[in-house]
Amino acid sequence: MRVQSISSYISRLTVSLLLLLTVAQHAEGQKMFKLEKDSIPFFRGFALSFDLVGPAKLMLSDYGEYEGALRINLHDQWFPIFEMGLGRANHAKDEITGLAYKTTAPYFRLGMDWNIKKKKHDPYRIYAGFRYAYTNYSCDIINDDLKDPIWRTVSEFGEEDIKCYQHWLEGVFGIDASIIGPFHLGWTVRYKRRLFHKEGDIGNSWYVPGFGINDSDNMTVNFNFIIDI
Amino acid sequence: MRKIIAVIFLIAAVVSCVSVDCPVQNKVETLFVLKKAAGGADTMGIDSLSVWTHRIYYKDKQDTTLINRLCGEKTQFAIPASHTLTEDSLFTLLKDTLGHEWRDTICISKENYPHFESVDCQATYFHHITGVKTTHNGIDSITIQNREVNYESAEHFFLYLKANR
Repeated sequence: MRVQSISSYISRLTVSLLLLLTVAQHAEGQKMFKLEKDSIPFFRGFALSFDLVGPAKLMLSDYGEYEGALRINLHDQWFPIFEMGLGRANHAKDEITGLAYKTTAPYFRLGMDWNIKKKKHDPYRIYAGFRYAYTNYSCDIINDDLKDPIWRTVSEFGEEDIKCYQHWLEGVFGIDASIIGPFHLGWTVRYKRRLFHKEGDIGNSWYVPGFGINDSDNMTVNFNFIIDI
Repeated sequence: MRKIIAVIFLIAAVVSCVSVDCPVQNKVETLFVLKKAAGGADTMGIDSLSVWTHRIYYKDKQDTTLINRLCGEKTQFAIPASHTLTEDSLFTLLKDTLGHEWRDTICISKENYPHFESVDCQATYFHHITGVKTTHNGIDSITIQNREVNYESAEHFFLYLKANR
């Protein structure tokens, strides 16, 4: 069983924050954290968004997500955001390894985006931000006829309803373009670093809802359909 | 702005090199190290050592060879561990060049734990060695050095052969 050391968590946090620090350093010159004084009101409304990449992955592969988000627009500068989704993986018995993996669970993210463009009130925005995310899930890992290559015994490998959880951080970089009226389209690229996790007693989770195919780090892309409300 | 975008993508590209921890070449094996009574490394030299086991739960119930005539300057050999048996029985045949033979049986008791990495990686079992016994025809003794058998390569047993075999 893999033992996670404190140093590994620290290194992950360091790399995760590297992206944000790079942005923050640049932002210092642009006074990212300072409210621009103009006639635009501080509260600019809400936006709802839906990711289109996750459902596409569900259609084309054996895992994916349905995900939506609620974002608050503060002066076109700051965007506190809450995201939630349902992650699903249903990998039927693998042709080579004979392993099957199944999980379905919700996940949540909380974070903030900054508009790093000089002209904040343009219809086009460039975001940099972060997310803290969490999911609590259970998974089934089954191989009902695992053969021992030497002794030729056959065993029922695996376990059902393995209780797991994972906390992770995401560094986000995004582009948002106004299409027509209240409708926007946007891309976000996310770099994810695992913080704390529990994966049961028999090894690793293959897919973690909201995080993706599991490793200590992960890179994903979202394509969002956004509506200002 | 172009610089900052380039930096972000460069960092992201560097740190996003995902490594699926799929040990294609790794095996779950016990490593036996040949030792002299004085403590130094031993070799088979011109003698030879064969190891096999008996597939008692398989329909043919035949023996299968694990090591065939180990000889020369090699100081160690690896033996796979069974997935689910609580005791692995290994049969050894030690031969010298004069035609003398010494047969022994090594019994390794262990606990077995299923281990999963990914659906793309072959499932396997890790083991915790709880004990080892041997007969003493050609083998003087055997000691446990590391009880955990997994993908890590470690010396699990020191095998002492009789000097006057």
